[in-house]
Amino acid sequence: MRPLYLALTFIIAALAILAAAYAAGLFGGSELRVRISTTTSLYATGLLDYLADKYEGEHPGVAIDFLPVGSGQALQLAADGEVCAVFVHAPQLEIRYIRDGVLEDHRIIAYNYFIIVGPPDDPAGVRDAANATEAFRRIYEAGEAGRAVFISRGDNSGTNVKELSIWKAAGLDPSGRPWYKEVGKGMADTLVMADEMRAYTLSDIGTYLKLKKDGVLKNIELLYASSTELINIYSAYLVTSCMGAERAQAQAFIEFVYSHQDLIGRYGVNKYGQPLFYPAEGREEELARIWESIAGAGG
Amino acid sequence: MLPEIAEVALRSVAISGAATLLALSWSLPLAYYVAERSSKTIATISEALVGVPTTLIGLLLYFILRNEGPLGFLQLLYTPYAIVVGEAILVTPLLVAVTYRVLANAIATYGELALSLGASRSQAMELAFTTSLPSLAAAAIMAFSRAVGEIGVALIVGGNIRGYTRTMTTAIALEVAKGEFWTALELGLILVSLTVVVSLAVRLVKGLWEL
Repeated sequence: MRPLYLALTFIIAALAILAAAYAAGLFGGSELRVRISTTTSLYATGLLDYLADKYEGEHPGVAIDFLPVGSGQALQLAADGEVCAVFVHAPQLEIRYIRDGVLEDHRIIAYNYFIIVGPPDDPAGVRDAANATEAFRRIYEAGEAGRAVFISRGDNSGTNVKELSIWKAAGLDPSGRPWYKEVGKGMADTLVMADEMRAYTLSDIGTYLKLKKDGVLKNIELLYASSTELINIYSAYLVTSCMGAERAQAQAFIEFVYSHQDLIGRYGVNKYGQPLFYPAEGREEELARIWESIAGAGG
Repeated sequence: MLPEIAEVALRSVAISGAATLLALSWSLPLAYYVAERSSKTIATISEALVGVPTTLIGLLLYFILRNEGPLGFLQLLYTPYAIVVGEAILVTPLLVAVTYRVLANAIATYGELALSLGASRSQAMELAFTTSLPSLAAAAIMAFSRAVGEIGVALIVGGNIRGYTRTMTTAIALEVAKGEFWTALELGLILVSLTVVVSLAVRLVKGLWEL
């Protein structure tokens, strides 16, 4: 029994498997890999893969690699210099990284609205609210009275950051209240939980429409939408520390997305009967102003 | 071109299979060494570490492999090879803990018998090792099963990149995030079937060996 001989046999076997997997194309090819971090919720809509497929079709030899992670992590990866670009929707977080010089070349590529969903009988009266802040105030009062439950993502995601900013705008602090549940889950899980508990929550439009269409959500529906306070702005950035060919391709990809906003506006219409995103084109200045005010409020 | 799901399944098997073999390459000699000297410390530490959270290992490896980390120059982060290394580390305590017990038992039962019958020390050890092969294979299958079913390492150092580092578990998590619960469930069933098939295949090879 010779341990060294045994160890070598296993290492060779492991390398053989990896070589076979590489030869079979399971580990990609010799493309130039351009890493872009993004948030899971945006990636889960499929929009980014759709745009990357179009881009890669025109640029053979380039692979756009999306790392779908939380908003906080997506930006941290940029600060660590692990990615070349980021696609995110949390202006309050983005502004810090812009100030630190991590991100540059800000482009607003699309927007949509967060929505407030909850039980159809609407015990808090969210449907009659004049704006999102008032809607949250009503949920707070109903929660204190034991008539409503609110589920928070509690995960520092773009949606969570937006939710917290609305509580702040309403001058309320729900954390620790028995009717306010911080769950630390993704959007789909959170919506299913809200459905089970007949609770209120803030959601992005895409995930909600998807689950509603599939019949997963039976006890909650869309109660409030389309308020400027609930606008969700998607931005693309180049990472300052990224250099060379990777940087050039990341820049070209962002340019491609920016100049193909018609694709963004049409995306998902066939599937859901309404667009998931609105192109920023033609509303750039207005959106930039709104972005500034959101970022400033949080920073 | 394979359908994406077959590609992801094969990638998972290749990554976790390579990780298991790599882990065996150091775990078996280590377990053998520990069993031979009946040293309890390494065995006890291994047993305690069997349940270490996969996300923790993923995060530690991220700090080592990132650009500014000590091994950043290897450029391994967000490649399939990073997942292989991470999963190999992940299953090492399990492999050492189980194979140590198997070998220690075999040495106590057959090794000592062989020694008393006049075999040399290395012959006795050889016999103990050969008689343990079925249990060692079972340990390898357990390790593969843990590797292929983990998500923490694959997500953090793999990055769930389509066509490159997406594995069965990260694909399942993504489908859940998308709200595609049924697709996620189907992927889960495929993952479980894969583990069973690999386990049966190892048993088959072992059966042929023993003929």
